[in-house]
Amino acid sequence: MPNRRRLFLLLTTASLLSAAGRRLASAQASAGRASEFVKSLGDRLVAVVNGPGSDREKREKLTQIIDSGVDVDAVARFCLGRFWRNASSDQQKRYTELFHLVLVNNITSKLGDYQGVRFTMGRAQQRDDTDVVSAVVERPNNPPTNVDWVISNASGSPKVIDVVAEGTSLRLTQRQDYASYLSRNNNNIDALINAMRQQVAQAG
Amino acid sequence: MRTVIRCHLLVITAVLLASVGGCATPPPADDPDAVADFKETNDPIEPTNRVMYAFNNGIDTVLLRPAAKAYRFVLPSPVRSGIHNALSNLGTPVQLGNDMLEGKPRRAGDTTMRFMINTTVGVLGLFDVVKGWGYPDHDADFGLTLALWGLPDGPFLFLPVFGPSGPRDAVGLGVNAAMDPFTWVGQGAAVRALNWSRVGLNALDQRERHLDDIESIKATALDPYATFRSLYRQHRQAQIEDLRKDKRATIPVWFPQSGAPDTVIYSPAESPVH
Repeated sequence: MPNRRRLFLLLTTASLLSAAGRRLASAQASAGRASEFVKSLGDRLVAVVNGPGSDREKREKLTQIIDSGVDVDAVARFCLGRFWRNASSDQQKRYTELFHLVLVNNITSKLGDYQGVRFTMGRAQQRDDTDVVSAVVERPNNPPTNVDWVISNASGSPKVIDVVAEGTSLRLTQRQDYASYLSRNNNNIDALINAMRQQVAQAG
Repeated sequence: MRTVIRCHLLVITAVLLASVGGCATPPPADDPDAVADFKETNDPIEPTNRVMYAFNNGIDTVLLRPAAKAYRFVLPSPVRSGIHNALSNLGTPVQLGNDMLEGKPRRAGDTTMRFMINTTVGVLGLFDVVKGWGYPDHDADFGLTLALWGLPDGPFLFLPVFGPSGPRDAVGLGVNAAMDPFTWVGQGAAVRALNWSRVGLNALDQRERHLDDIESIKATALDPYATFRSLYRQHRQAQIEDLRKDKRATIPVWFPQSGAPDTVIYSPAESPVH
C-alpha cells in the first residue's frame, strides 16, 4: 500500500512537473517569438528613420510597417473605450479610418526627433495573454527611455497593441485624452471625429 | 527672500480665489459607465485645475520654454548632462533620507555609494561614474515614501509653478524641501544666491530634458490637460511599482540567495536552453 501510494505520488508529481514544464516552454517560445518580432520591427523602423529618402518616402514606408506590425483596429477600439458601443457602425468605420491616419501622422511627425535613434533589446515576459518585450530607446539630446512593447496574437499573428514608455501606456493615455475631449463635447462622437479630421488636415 | 515668497503667495492666492467655485459637474447617476469614468479620473476641481494649467502654460510659453531652448542652444550636450549629474548629486541627501524611510537598505546603499564616489572621483558629481559600477540611480521622494506607506494619491491637483500633483505628492514636495540640508545650511547673500541658482538651473535642466516630449504632446493631444494628467498619474504609478518591486536582499552575493528569482522567461542575452 505505501509503495503504491508512493508510486501514485511520484507519477502525479511527474505529470504535474511535465505539464508545468510544457507551459513554461510554450510561454518561453511565445515570448521568444514576440522578442524576434519586436527586434525585426524595431530594426525596420530604425532603418527607415535613419535611412535615406525624402520625408514622403519615409512616410509611405512607415505606414506599411505600421499596418503590418500594429493591430491598429484593436488599438482604435480600445482608445474609444465605452464610447465604442454607443457609436453607430458608420461612426465606428469613420473613426477607425481616421485613427489610422492620426497614428501614422503622430509617428511620422516625430521623424526628425528620432534621427539617429538606437535601440537595445531587453527581456521578454508573458503577461496575461500578451507578451511584453522591453527595449531601451536612445535618441540624441534625450535621456534613454525604457520602452515596453505589448504584443498580442489575437489577430492570428504577433502584432503590437500597446507601447509603454517609462511606465506610461500610449493607448491608455490616448483613451483618456479622447474620453476627456468627449466629456467636454457632450459625449458627441461626431465632434471627436471632426477634431480628428482637423488634426489630419493640419498635418497635411 | 521672505518678501519674494510672500509676493508669490499673494499672486497664487489671487489666482486661486479667482477660480474658486470651480468644481467639476458629476455625470448623471443613471449612466453608470460615465460615473465610473468620473470616479476613475478623480479630478473633482477640474475647472480650477484647468485655470492653473493655463497659468503655468503662460509662464512656460513666455519664460521657461524659451529659456530651456536657449539653454539647449548655448550649451553642448555633455556640458548639460554634467550639470544634470551635479544637480542630482546635490539631491542625494533627500534621496537617501527617503530610501531609509521607505525601508530599502539596498537603495540607501546605492545612494550612499553614488554620493561618495561621484562627489570625489566624479568631480563634485559632474560625472556619473558609478552608474556602470552597479550602483544605478533611482527615484525617491517623500510622495513615493507616503505611497509605499499606503497613502493613496487622492484627487488630482494642478499646482501653480509645480504642475501636476495631488494631496499626497504636494505634501511630499513640502517635506522634501524640509528634508533638504541646503534649506537649512548657512545664511547670507552668497548662500541664498547659490540656492536660488540651483532652483533655477534645476528648472532649466528639467524643462530642457522634456522639450521634445512636451512639444509633441501639445501637438498631438486633443486635450493636453487630460493627457498630462494621465501621463503624470501613470508615471507616478510606475515609480511606485518599481519601488515596491525592489526587494533586493542585503546579503552578500556569494551567500545562497533566498529571494525569489526574477520572473525572466526569456532573455535574448542569455541562452534559452538551461
